[in-house]
Amino acid sequence: MNDHLIGRLGLDSRAWLRWAVPLVLIIVLYIVPQIGGSDSFRMGEYEEILSFLVIAVALNIAMGYGGQYILGITAVFAVGAYGAILAAKYHPHGVGLVAMCIIGGVVGAVGGMIIGLPALRVGGFYLALVSLFAALAIPTVAQQWGLVGADTGIPLYAVSGFAPEINGEELYIIVVSLVLLATLFSWALVHSRVGHRFVALHTSQQLASSIGIRAYRTQLLAILISSVMAGIAGGIYVYSQQFFAPGSSSVQFAVLLLAGMTIGGMGTIIGPLIGSVIILGINQFFTSFQQYNGIAFGILLLLFAVFLPNGLMARITVLSERLGIRPRAPSLTSGPSASPADTATEPTAATAATAVTAVTATAAVRPAAQLPDWPPVLGAGDSSPLVVDGARRTFGGVTAVDDMHLTITRGQIHGLIGSNGSGKTTLLNLISRFYSLDAGQIMIGSTRLDNQPPHAVARAGIARTFQSPKLMLRETALENVIPAVELRVRCTGPESVLRLPRGIRVNRQARDEALEILEQLGLRHVINQQAAALPHGTRRMVEMARAIALRPSFVLLDEPAAGLSPVELEMVANVCQNLARSGVGVLLIEHNVPMVLSIADTVTCLHQGKRLFQGTPAELRADTSVASVFLGIDEPLEASS
Amino acid sequence: MTLFLTALIAGLAVGSVYGLIALSYTVVFNSTAIFNVAQGDLMMAGVLVSYFCLDRWHLPQILTLVVILAVVVAISLLEERVAVRPFVSKPVVGLGWFIATLAFSLVIETVASIIYGQNPVVPIPGAFGSGTIVVAGVHVATKFILAFVTMIVVMVALEVFYKRSWLGTAMRGVAEDREVAALRGIDALRISRLAFVIAGVVTGLAAFVVAPIVSADVTVGLTYGLKGFIALAAGGFGSLRGCVIGGLLLGVAEQMFDLYISSNYEILAGLIVVLIVLAVRPSGLFGTRAVREV
Repeated sequence: MNDHLIGRLGLDSRAWLRWAVPLVLIIVLYIVPQIGGSDSFRMGEYEEILSFLVIAVALNIAMGYGGQYILGITAVFAVGAYGAILAAKYHPHGVGLVAMCIIGGVVGAVGGMIIGLPALRVGGFYLALVSLFAALAIPTVAQQWGLVGADTGIPLYAVSGFAPEINGEELYIIVVSLVLLATLFSWALVHSRVGHRFVALHTSQQLASSIGIRAYRTQLLAILISSVMAGIAGGIYVYSQQFFAPGSSSVQFAVLLLAGMTIGGMGTIIGPLIGSVIILGINQFFTSFQQYNGIAFGILLLLFAVFLPNGLMARITVLSERLGIRPRAPSLTSGPSASPADTATEPTAATAATAVTAVTATAAVRPAAQLPDWPPVLGAGDSSPLVVDGARRTFGGVTAVDDMHLTITRGQIHGLIGSNGSGKTTLLNLISRFYSLDAGQIMIGSTRLDNQPPHAVARAGIARTFQSPKLMLRETALENVIPAVELRVRCTGPESVLRLPRGIRVNRQARDEALEILEQLGLRHVINQQAAALPHGTRRMVEMARAIALRPSFVLLDEPAAGLSPVELEMVANVCQNLARSGVGVLLIEHNVPMVLSIADTVTCLHQGKRLFQGTPAELRADTSVASVFLGIDEPLEASS
Repeated sequence: MTLFLTALIAGLAVGSVYGLIALSYTVVFNSTAIFNVAQGDLMMAGVLVSYFCLDRWHLPQILTLVVILAVVVAISLLEERVAVRPFVSKPVVGLGWFIATLAFSLVIETVASIIYGQNPVVPIPGAFGSGTIVVAGVHVATKFILAFVTMIVVMVALEVFYKRSWLGTAMRGVAEDREVAALRGIDALRISRLAFVIAGVVTGLAAFVVAPIVSADVTVGLTYGLKGFIALAAGGFGSLRGCVIGGLLLGVAEQMFDLYISSNYEILAGLIVVLIVLAVRPSGLFGTRAVREV
């Protein structure tokens, strides 16, 4: 075994435990019957828990990653299971495990959509409650319904002619493999463009739509994927138990599942599995205390929700970092020292060329001339300016923006100044369509933007940043930029998730381009750091990198210089100038008037929602109206300064 | 026709239960921006107390009411302390509070079923006995009238409180913007505690008037809680009148479903009501504000 291999496997440190532990767990999972007894009753119990684990994986995708609290997913499981068992009852010879899974998945998808489509129109906890009500209603209805066997359920083993082709240990191994397959799928999904969108949307709907993510459709997709998986779990359950009754999926089961998810750690791949095994295992095998289980689980769930909301996995991660099993997340003080190793493992054409500057990243402010062009890609076909024409918006009795006219020309910087509350950010939010106009219109050429949803504005080539940076805090700087690149690199979701040839290529391309842009902004040393660990100024720069990564035709920057160091300030000015030089129209909202005057081509000054002044920086300096409003003097700015 | 009227009146009575739960949700939500999932189980805890006081210990009705209010407010305050305050004092991220209140409701329900034990579900005597009053040619049980009147009184009282009193305005202001409220000298934690006291009183009253209608089945807390939510969603979030109308709508819809379609599938009426409301008018009949981004 050569040194390289030893290093890769981590045998020179404790890092090997990182792959060895899961491997041992998987092996243990396969030989559970050898350890815990393999009589048919026991096997049934194992397989029951295993099919519940598939639901846990499904719920984790929607809830842990997508932020969609479809707590009553047991309702979807139940309809999937009923669908599968009815098919088997009436066609005992033709329906095997595969058919049951397919039927369960399809029926589950329909059930999930019936709950999801209306509930998502309101969002938030509505989905949780509506789905919980469904989880309550379905067993209650089934209790009375003769077709599904009413209270006694459907015993498939009593149906003459039904003989499962797979049974005993063979079935157990297949069911374990299905659980692992589901887990692998959830990993692939989370680390694909689809999963990136889920996390962005989970973080903030505004953030998501600012990089062109369609909120409703993406939420629905998260629910659909979960529902299909939960339905398949129903198929597996029915095949292995050969029985389904109203008691098989009570609303209490939904709460148990949630407890398992929370305790294990939502939003991690294996946390929900660990938690569910603990909770469902206790519930299944300690039946003598079952009466008191509710108290124990309730208190445990409460404690976790309050004190350890990220579950056991968060503890395990910290512990394994401390023991050297997992590489420690680079801390800020270690600075650029972490980067040479990274460049060595991921060389790309772009990184190789800029590696030298990247190492000295903290001091890397490049003059605009040294930054490469960022020619527009989104909306590049139409070179018309972005025109705000007579925009008005009122909130209650306050007119925040009134009779606003503004033109942002491609290749120019348009500065927007004015005191707090003068309507600058409102104007920006009107352009982004986070607010709707009361009057006026917003156009690019002949295309109206003011009747389109927010994501369409981003897709039309208008990127933006936020006054207080909106980043996915649990993700790294690099992962924050990748979804923006993915908007403009063509590839379908399935290709990306299933790692088909184009998917692999595009996934890598998105990563490389995001890396390249971060490097250009001098952020090489933070790419692998969690956004939560980044200082304020760096967060702003990462946000700016994300906006540039869209390769937009227009960029709207909301106070990008607020709270920045002089070095970072210079970087912002350089970036604005470089954007303009690349043919991008820049709208720069700033309180730093000297900076605006030094780089802007046109300046608009707002006062109490109205346009006070519009002209070149030189004209502004000579204008008396601005000086009188802001400084209370009747001389032009030039004379007073 | 008599059948229809009887069903209508039963619907209004059961609807009053949902309306009362919806009102207590609204009280909590208006000042904490938290939807307290345990509200239905709090009510069932009150019903359990009612069972012990009236059926086991034969206490007078008025004393029973006092005991119920004391117990429900106490549990409500306990919940505020352990499951809600950790999420009120820091900026709300995600739906951790949802999980915490759901966990609390699980604890209440389990404890309640242990206390109640394996006893069969028994009816609980009403405040005015089992008498009836004739309204429009139909015999109406006094317990039904009491539930309906209580709901209306509670709604009017809350409406006056929110509109007319300084404290009521402060309670609404805290949920709108905690920081601004703090700058005006309003203590968000005290307001949150007060909200749980008021919600506890509303829930306690609900438990008292509801006990004779629902009997001593302590396992149905979550069911009533979820139906209270449907009343809220149908009526419109944040609107007190909406709670009442939504509750009555759901109650009547259920009874009509029983009468004309099938009494076996009554629960489907709630599901149909909520899905239709969300599809046609997501903000509910009287809804003003959209649910915040989470």
